[in-house]
Amino acid sequence: MNPPEFEYVAPKTVQEAVDLLKVRGEWAKVLAGGQSLIPLLKLRLASPALLVDIGKVPGLDYLAESDGHLRMGAMVRVADLNRSALLKKKYPAIHDASGVIADPLVRNLGTVGGNISHGDPANDLPAVMLASEGEMAATGSGGNRVIKAEDFFTDTFTTALAHDEILTEVRVPVPLPRSGGAYLKVEQKVGDFASAGVAVQLSVDRASMCTKVGIGLTAVGPTAVKAKKAEEAMLGKQVTDRVAVAEAAALAADAATPTSDIRGTAEYKKRLVRLLVARGLKRASERAGGKE
Amino acid sequence: MAVEIDSEDPERFFVRGKGRYVDDIKLEGMLHLHVVRSPYARARVISVSGGITGNELRASMEAVGEDAGGEENTSVSFPVLATETVNYVGQPVAAVLGDDRYEAEDRADEVDVQYEPLTPVMDPERSLESGPIHRQMKDNLVAESVLGKDFKANAPIELEDTLRMARMSPNPLEPRGLVAAYDGSMLTVYASTQSVFSWREGLAGSLGMPEDKIRVVQMDTGGAFGSKGGIYPEYVVAAHAAMKTKRPVKWIENRYEHLMTTDQGRGVRAKMKVYAERNGKVKGLKADLLIDAGAYPVGGGGWVASWISSQLIGPYYIPKAYATSRAVLTNKVNLGPYRGAGRPEAAFFMERMMDKVADETGLDQAEVRMRNTTTKGWTTPLGRKTPPSKPFFNEALRAFKYSSRKKKEKLGLSLFVLVPASSGGESAKVAVKGGRVKVWMGGNSHGQGHGLFAKMLASKELGVPENLIDFQHTDTSALSSGVGSWGSRTAMLGGGAVVEASRKLKAAAKKKLGKRYSKARLLEGEYEAEAFFKPKDFLNSLGANMASARITKVGMGTIDEVVSYYDVGTPLTPYMVESQIEGGTAQGLGEVMYEQVLYSEDGQLLTPSIADAGLIHSTEMPKVVAMTGTHRSSLKHGAKGLGESPTIGVPPAATRALEVALGRRFSYLPIEQEKLWAVELPKE
Ligand SMILES: Cc1cc2nc3c(=O)[nH]c(=O)nc-3n(C[C@H](O)[C@H](O)[C@H](O)COP(=O)(O)OP(=O)(O)OC[C@H]3O[C@@H](n4cnc5c(N)ncnc54)[C@H](O)[C@@H]3O)c2cc1C
Repeated sequence: MNPPEFEYVAPKTVQEAVDLLKVRGEWAKVLAGGQSLIPLLKLRLASPALLVDIGKVPGLDYLAESDGHLRMGAMVRVADLNRSALLKKKYPAIHDASGVIADPLVRNLGTVGGNISHGDPANDLPAVMLASEGEMAATGSGGNRVIKAEDFFTDTFTTALAHDEILTEVRVPVPLPRSGGAYLKVEQKVGDFASAGVAVQLSVDRASMCTKVGIGLTAVGPTAVKAKKAEEAMLGKQVTDRVAVAEAAALAADAATPTSDIRGTAEYKKRLVRLLVARGLKRASERAGGKE
Repeated sequence: MAVEIDSEDPERFFVRGKGRYVDDIKLEGMLHLHVVRSPYARARVISVSGGITGNELRASMEAVGEDAGGEENTSVSFPVLATETVNYVGQPVAAVLGDDRYEAEDRADEVDVQYEPLTPVMDPERSLESGPIHRQMKDNLVAESVLGKDFKANAPIELEDTLRMARMSPNPLEPRGLVAAYDGSMLTVYASTQSVFSWREGLAGSLGMPEDKIRVVQMDTGGAFGSKGGIYPEYVVAAHAAMKTKRPVKWIENRYEHLMTTDQGRGVRAKMKVYAERNGKVKGLKADLLIDAGAYPVGGGGWVASWISSQLIGPYYIPKAYATSRAVLTNKVNLGPYRGAGRPEAAFFMERMMDKVADETGLDQAEVRMRNTTTKGWTTPLGRKTPPSKPFFNEALRAFKYSSRKKKEKLGLSLFVLVPASSGGESAKVAVKGGRVKVWMGGNSHGQGHGLFAKMLASKELGVPENLIDFQHTDTSALSSGVGSWGSRTAMLGGGAVVEASRKLKAAAKKKLGKRYSKARLLEGEYEAEAFFKPKDFLNSLGANMASARITKVGMGTIDEVVSYYDVGTPLTPYMVESQIEGGTAQGLGEVMYEQVLYSEDGQLLTPSIADAGLIHSTEMPKVVAMTGTHRSSLKHGAKGLGESPTIGVPPAATRALEVALGRRFSYLPIEQEKLWAVELPKE
């Protein structure tokens, strides 16, 4: 429970950080909030020779709407998401998730960028990004690029980021009028990782017909899962259409490939997904209608 | 009577960072010990090189390789450092030293161990048909007990169930640890412990040293729950290293090590069968218990078999009973005591059956219990002396307001006997010097605030105000003998010893001062008195719990409130009584809904962090109402046992409340999350 020796550098710019990662190769690792990385170091499951702390880089902690997107700097703390009135009102799925990630201590340090870059299928924000058409902006030695959430989570603890790339911004489109979202998580005890979690983001027209549906699943696969067939099944359907909702919930469960573990059997987790997708669609549509 | 919170809060001292724990000790030249452990649940050790090894220990000491537990009924010893086989994940194989913990942990790389993995025995149900884990034994049976007489029953109601309680890790806030220092003749051990005397005995036995060359001093101890009573391999290695290097050596367990290598409790399966009349009266009980003893026959496995089954009848009058019980080896860390240590198992099994009788007969759960209580004390067919339970249960139901609350709430009840570890007695010493009084007890606080009642009792006996009394940590050099703090015993026995020692001291002072005796003169002199107190009477007491369950907004069953009514005799420090009940309620509820130790089929630990192990948080805590029935015991200060009551009484009451709320029977603890849903989950 004590890490081996490592070097620590706190660069002042993203470019400096990227250069260090490039020069030191696989032996260097980005440190953000440290809430996933430090435990790995203490258990000696990771032993990088160099930690590049991006916490001292100014200007990575903005949280604002501009140019049609909600933009979250990579170093925004999860607790800040939870405190934001803007998120509570217009981005309820992100707001919901930010209140159920770990516990207040972890949320005070853990960052948006870290939660997503860690590539942990049990982390809560990845599913929200999959449901919300999220995009990740990264800077690497080859320059800047934007990666869609769908293309970002490639495997367990593995993302599309190159070794010398730093995630600088996480963003989602500003929702259309009559949009709503929700994140529902079932865990054992407050602060635990999910037994299963479901993110829903949708938009409806005046007749309550779904014009846009995003569904993401937490902790039921090697990565966070985008339940595409379930999304399609709801498109053009009334949010109150029970048959359509049940169909979407079943399709989402089909997309889940959970394993049995201390949180429950695979079968149980699939059933949870069905329950939570149905509930999530309901809550998101209520919010789209202006409730809460 | 509801327990009042008195204004003196002894733990303020700790929360202000003023405590002094083992890990706070910094000695000149101190080394840190890191233990290299087996990654396999079962393997042959082909070679070990580097670091301190079992062969080195064996060469340098008389009795190393002997068991570190010292229990009877062993044909295999528990090695300090394994040399031939390893039998659970985390078993110590070698040790390394460093100037700090980081360096010590780095040095683990210098140790090379070659293993040949073997197939582990993980399921106790299959242990007896598997080949023996230890080649010195003919099978994996550690202990077998048969109590009562088999009988043929002829009852209108026969009910059977298989019940199970998972293995649990004690998980005190402060894990295990020690500092060992050697001056060339005397070995001094600073310990986080429940018993300095059992540590001294264990170290002397393992190291082959006379007890008078070993001094064990207790530091502030941050919880134990059974895990710090006996000696462990790491303590022997640290002592050896201190003597070898002539430098102080510190070893502090980390949480991962605690979950892997500190003895675990529970882990029992019971097949229960009760024979009852239509009126709910239980006429007979048959039980068969299977206990997961872990890897070595030195742990709790030896005594737990008969200890649990002897308590199965609990507070009821059941004229016929027959209980068989076996403890079997598996490739897991040894079985050990965990708060309650056998008592919760017995109560859970019996109480689950009482509820089954209620469901079968359609009688109220309180009524069924009441019909099976007794008005006279008696000795059960399984050999336990039991106090009359009817009057107490009546009191408890009134205190709970059960009959009115049951109309609106989903309630569960439990009724149980607390059998404290009162045999063996306990010591205390009282000394007057320099105008102040010092008090020691042989078994000491490890978080319960025993010092409060010790001071209060000495103050009462000597007539000296408490602010002139200092409570001392236990130290083998301060007392001539002592036992330890566990089994709900210390208020009764340690307290009784303080009363006796105080009286002795006062008598000596009176004898010396004659007519001149006064409190002021007493404090001017120098006196010392030690007493060993061994009660003659049996000190079993009764307890009851009520739990109330509700369905959350999400749609799952949860516990809303837990009420306790325990006969603690005269509560010595009411605030501490309440704290004991709160903490124990948290553990009892954890056991029902979250806590367990789980292994994979190949013996790897699936619950390697405190979060995985399921410890309850404040967010899961229900309302706790602590009430005490105060029926003085026969002791001079009137105390009865308490510490283990909540882990005995809460699990069956909370399980029942959930069962009532959800309409589904629960036979295994912890209850899986899947089974806690009140709404039907969609199915394929
Ligand atoms: C007790 C506990 C419970 C938890 N429970 C939950 C939970 O319920 N839900 C949940 O979602 N999470 C949970 N977490 C994880 C927590 O949210 C972490 O904060 C998060 O996973 C990582 O964020 P961080 O800022 O701490 O990143 P770090 O730990 O610093 O880094 C994590 C990884 O991401 C990389 N990284 C970080 N930032 C960047 C970046 N900007 N660009 C490129 N790579 C980067 C690091 O190199 C590292 O590999 C829990 C953690 C703990 C300790």
